[in-house]
Amino acid sequence: MQARRKQAARKQATKRISKQPAKRTVKQAVTKAVTIEKKRVALRINREDYELFIYPHRTLGEVLRDELHLTGTKQSCSEGACGTCTVLLDGAPVRSCLLLAVDVEGKEITTIEGLAENGKLHPIQEAFVEHYAIQCGFCTPGMILTAKAFLDTNPHPTEEEIRNAISGNICRCTGYSKIVEAIKAASERGR
Amino acid sequence: MTERSLIGKSMQRVDAIAKATGQALFTADLSLPRMLCGKVLRSPYPHAKIVRIDTSRAEKLPGVKAVVTGQDSSDEKWGVFRYTQDQRFLPVDKVRYIGEEIAAVAALDEDTAFEALGLIRVEYAELPAVFTMDDALKVDAPIIHEGYKGNVNIHVKIDVGDVEKGFKESFLVREDTFDAPEESYFQAEPYAVVAQFDNAGSLEIWMPNAGPHLKSKPLANVLGVPLNKVRVRKITIGGAFGGRSEISPADVMCALLAKKSGRPVKIVYTREENTIATRQAHGMRAIIKTGVDREGRVQARDITCYMDGGAYSSTGPIATSVPFLCMEQAYRMENVRYHGYRVFTNKPIRGMYRCHGRAFACGVDLQLDLLGEELGIDPVEMRLRNARQPGDYTPTKSQVGSCAMVETIVKSAEAARWKEKWGKLPPYHGIGIGCNSVQTGFPMGIRGGSEAFVKFNEDGGITVISGVVDNGQGNETMLVQIAAEELGLSPQDVQLVSADTEVTPSDPGSYSMVSTFVGGNAVRLAAQDAKNKLFVIAAKALEAKPEELIAKDRKIMVKGEPERSLSLTKAVRMALSRGQSISGEGGYWPKVDSRREWVENPFGQLSEAFSFGTTIVEVKVDPETGRVTVLETWAAQDVGYALNPKIIESQFEGGLAMGGQGGMLTEYHVFDRGRVLNPTQLDYKLPLACDMPKINNIIVESHDPNGPYGAKEAAMSIAMSAAQGYAAAICNAIGVPIKEFPITPEKILKALEEKASRQPSAVSGPED
Amino acid sequence: MNLPRFEFLSPTTIKETLLLMSGYKEKLRVLAGGTEITGRLKHRLVTPTYILSLKRVHGLAGITQKKSEVVIGATTTLSEIADSQLIANLFSSVSEASRRAAAPAIRNVATVAGNVLQESRCLYYNQSELPRNGLGPCYKLAGETCHAVKGSKRCFSVYQGDLAPALIAVGAQARVQKTGSFRTVPVEDLFTGKGANPIGLARNELLTEIMLPIRKGRSASAYQKFTLRGSIEYPLASAAVFLWEGKGGMIEEVRIVLGTAGPGPKLAEDAAKAISGKRPQDVKAADVQQAASLAAKAMEAVDNLMLPSSYRRKLAAVMTKRALEEALRSLREVGHAS
Repeated sequence: MQARRKQAARKQATKRISKQPAKRTVKQAVTKAVTIEKKRVALRINREDYELFIYPHRTLGEVLRDELHLTGTKQSCSEGACGTCTVLLDGAPVRSCLLLAVDVEGKEITTIEGLAENGKLHPIQEAFVEHYAIQCGFCTPGMILTAKAFLDTNPHPTEEEIRNAISGNICRCTGYSKIVEAIKAASERGR
Repeated sequence: MTERSLIGKSMQRVDAIAKATGQALFTADLSLPRMLCGKVLRSPYPHAKIVRIDTSRAEKLPGVKAVVTGQDSSDEKWGVFRYTQDQRFLPVDKVRYIGEEIAAVAALDEDTAFEALGLIRVEYAELPAVFTMDDALKVDAPIIHEGYKGNVNIHVKIDVGDVEKGFKESFLVREDTFDAPEESYFQAEPYAVVAQFDNAGSLEIWMPNAGPHLKSKPLANVLGVPLNKVRVRKITIGGAFGGRSEISPADVMCALLAKKSGRPVKIVYTREENTIATRQAHGMRAIIKTGVDREGRVQARDITCYMDGGAYSSTGPIATSVPFLCMEQAYRMENVRYHGYRVFTNKPIRGMYRCHGRAFACGVDLQLDLLGEELGIDPVEMRLRNARQPGDYTPTKSQVGSCAMVETIVKSAEAARWKEKWGKLPPYHGIGIGCNSVQTGFPMGIRGGSEAFVKFNEDGGITVISGVVDNGQGNETMLVQIAAEELGLSPQDVQLVSADTEVTPSDPGSYSMVSTFVGGNAVRLAAQDAKNKLFVIAAKALEAKPEELIAKDRKIMVKGEPERSLSLTKAVRMALSRGQSISGEGGYWPKVDSRREWVENPFGQLSEAFSFGTTIVEVKVDPETGRVTVLETWAAQDVGYALNPKIIESQFEGGLAMGGQGGMLTEYHVFDRGRVLNPTQLDYKLPLACDMPKINNIIVESHDPNGPYGAKEAAMSIAMSAAQGYAAAICNAIGVPIKEFPITPEKILKALEEKASRQPSAVSGPED
Repeated sequence: MNLPRFEFLSPTTIKETLLLMSGYKEKLRVLAGGTEITGRLKHRLVTPTYILSLKRVHGLAGITQKKSEVVIGATTTLSEIADSQLIANLFSSVSEASRRAAAPAIRNVATVAGNVLQESRCLYYNQSELPRNGLGPCYKLAGETCHAVKGSKRCFSVYQGDLAPALIAVGAQARVQKTGSFRTVPVEDLFTGKGANPIGLARNELLTEIMLPIRKGRSASAYQKFTLRGSIEYPLASAAVFLWEGKGGMIEEVRIVLGTAGPGPKLAEDAAKAISGKRPQDVKAADVQQAASLAAKAMEAVDNLMLPSSYRRKLAAVMTKRALEEALRSLREVGHAS
């Protein structure tokens, strides 16, 4: 393992590969070698435009947290199994740990920081606060965003539909009862 | 009783808005100027001598600012107790499990830090390793720690009454063995540490913790600096559940890297590191023998329990004791013997867990059902006949004060319509009950008490200073609620400063179910102290006696005469104009037997109060796949007094999910030769919203005489009794006991097949 | 956990994509939704020089109804398939498999091609470097050993995709393109049957479309999946069934496909015999049971997933039985389509 890792590290350090082969023929691209470079990426996050220089292997979650300090997006399992890092992409919940930042250009990204407007909580945030749906708070941003997107498409859901909608978001603290109550309350408020 | 404004009511959580908007900062969210990224090199071997560590190439890699190994750390070994000092941060002699820390690096970015790890050369000499308790206990087994023969780390021995006589006089005696593999907390937040030193050599450090003071003292010891130079800062914490109470190697590594590099360092563990390299919960085997009389009353009990502790002692003495203590509290037992053995193996480290010992608790309760079945007594009746009563002494000589065990049984059975259901449910449907009891704190010597300060600000608002930490359960809300109640303020008038070792005084931490009882009492006393001082000032102005005054609605008024009042602001300003700044101090030290010790002397008052809980569960089982669907649950606990009912409910619900739904249906670790094969949420199956049953919360109040407003531990009795209720319900549904937990579907199918083969003529029930 | 470094390619046309693939071959991996490969990249199970994203490639996404088939583009997401009334009406098995795959937020990104072409899985393989630390490379990592079955001569990793069994059951075809040519193959032919390298596409080949034939006459399909929980789960056993009724009212075609049954989906051809040639209302419980038992025999299982292999074998029979029952039920009731 040690040796393999070292080898990988060496390979990494000396990896020579092509840059932007799209406009050239593939043959040229393969022979012309340069080191991996940062890419210019334009992202639209919470209704604001950002221009960033990032390596292509950075995930959206990493870029939000490390480059933009939008640390409301948490990381827990980092392989898509927990839902903690959920953000909205064109309004739909996605795992930010499984998306490359360079791959989401042109999309409207919403993080938890973008939900409240002009200092006023979004109704779903209010419902989570009022219904004790928050304990340690680590899964909360992903949970709230998932719930928000769900209610946008299904404003008057049944309890079963609510439970299925958040079935990919793990909460270790609450047993989900109060979260389900909060989402239900938010949906009734919209009635 | 005077009418209260906030206590006993569901006040909104003080941290909810920050958490709902993403503003609450957790450790991994911090960034400091010039901060470096720390990464850890870990052992690929379960047991090996460290021959040589060569870090020279890693140190030369551009971007690497520090590399630390055991050579950089203190040679003092650490342990929770003096007699368990067996872990060195970092190890120099040998490694004892796959994943143990070897070295750590700090670099400009994550990629460079990883690259540097690959450049560290470690030469090991492999040693024979043991991965099961059976192998570890063999006479010729490899020794994991010098001085621990047969790898027995802890032996807790309790023998009360006359057990043999009790068995002889019993009408019915049964012995059963129950097993459960390791489980894990899976706190949502993976472990993380940020550390930096200032010019004066003071350490400032952030990490998820269940008691900042429990972190600062060992850190001061390891770093060789006075305690006032270790500042464990308050930070939002993503869950603890019994973990994170003691120092972690990550804390030490991060501090060492910060010191060596002269820059702030952040280490964020991966989920895998959190599972493998921070301590988790024991695997366990419990051999339980119980004798009962004709009426089902327990006459004698003899329990031997083996717990797989992994590579180091950690919180071993406590973890080896608490499973027994919970059950001796829950049920009366006069003649009882307990042998608890914690065994070292070459596996990751285990410790205390919110649901202490599912094999133990479910074993005791399932066996009670089996005995009852033979006697023709229903489970609820069996529990009522053995339930702990107020005023009793436990076998290990704790007096039980407030106790509503019986009420939790009766109320939950009524709510669940037990009588209508027991024995009358359709095939493969089942109902089960579990009862448990949890301590409100342990004897913790000089760290057992909590101290708090309250200072009035010029505008009549207050600042509360308390060492209590909030892991997510709502402790901060509890403190604010108490202070505001006592002083007639609204929650917005209270600024809380908590869980920061530079500022906040002593506190036992939040892992022994004691925060409300001890920390809450301390804040209440501090608030009362400040109030009394202010009343002296106000009494003169209102021409009344101080004892006639009350504080309410931001005013001081004469009791019963609200028109004779003075605003708090005015009273505070009056005091200031007389050269008196109003502040209060309060401390609470639980009345426990300080001579009690986990191993040496497990007798005497363990805890000032005990909570009692009952969970009833109704399930159906798919007889073709063995899959369990939980239909409904009823959770009842004696919480003393519900300071904040909604927060307590949410704790019940979380406890039931963890202990019952997760702990009894899906949660367990798979190991292969010391290697954890399911370290992440993908294969370690935590409960999901779509699978959770309806939970009916039943809050029972026994008004503890010493708890703040009568409160005591809330909800852990649910986490534990839920596991028992789930197990009982499943076994009831299939008509056979299962003694290995969690009860995953293959065990159910196997049990059903064995049952069918025993009764070839029996008519199987229709499918549901 | 960070990703290894790679260069990122984001072509906009199929032609360009195929050129890049044939140019870089082994050095390149294709990312469609990315929900599966990202985990393996993070775990350093695959460390390509290039990642080619299909996100901007035109003409790869969408569901279209044609005269005798429904075409699903390679980058159509599982959510789109799950939400499609067309798919629900014509291909229950495919609809159900899409609805039950992974978790809602993953289905919003994961694609049909990515789901079908996912790697086989094993508790010893699908791990980050820390749990694997000290284990030598197994067959699946070009090594010479299997950690799950010690001493074994081959890889026992398990294919756990949801969509493929459902697609194979309804007789779906896959269109595979490379520069200058394409081929159309039954979906089952995309699999090699070898755990170490389960996907039978050359590195210059791109799966562009999946075609689901619309059968004339009465047909029905069903998908059953067993998991411990209701979401975020690969199947521990799964079965897809397709039944087609000929003119005489007899069931003339029976396709039973097992998932999580070996290194690829398993078409249990023997099992079909117990059902075929009978009228739906004449198929007895014992016939279904027999078919289910036969199907389960086609399963290969060792202890390399979360529950014991002996148990998963039993599940395979139960899932087959239930899928058959479900398909028979809809054939008896409505029966106009699968």
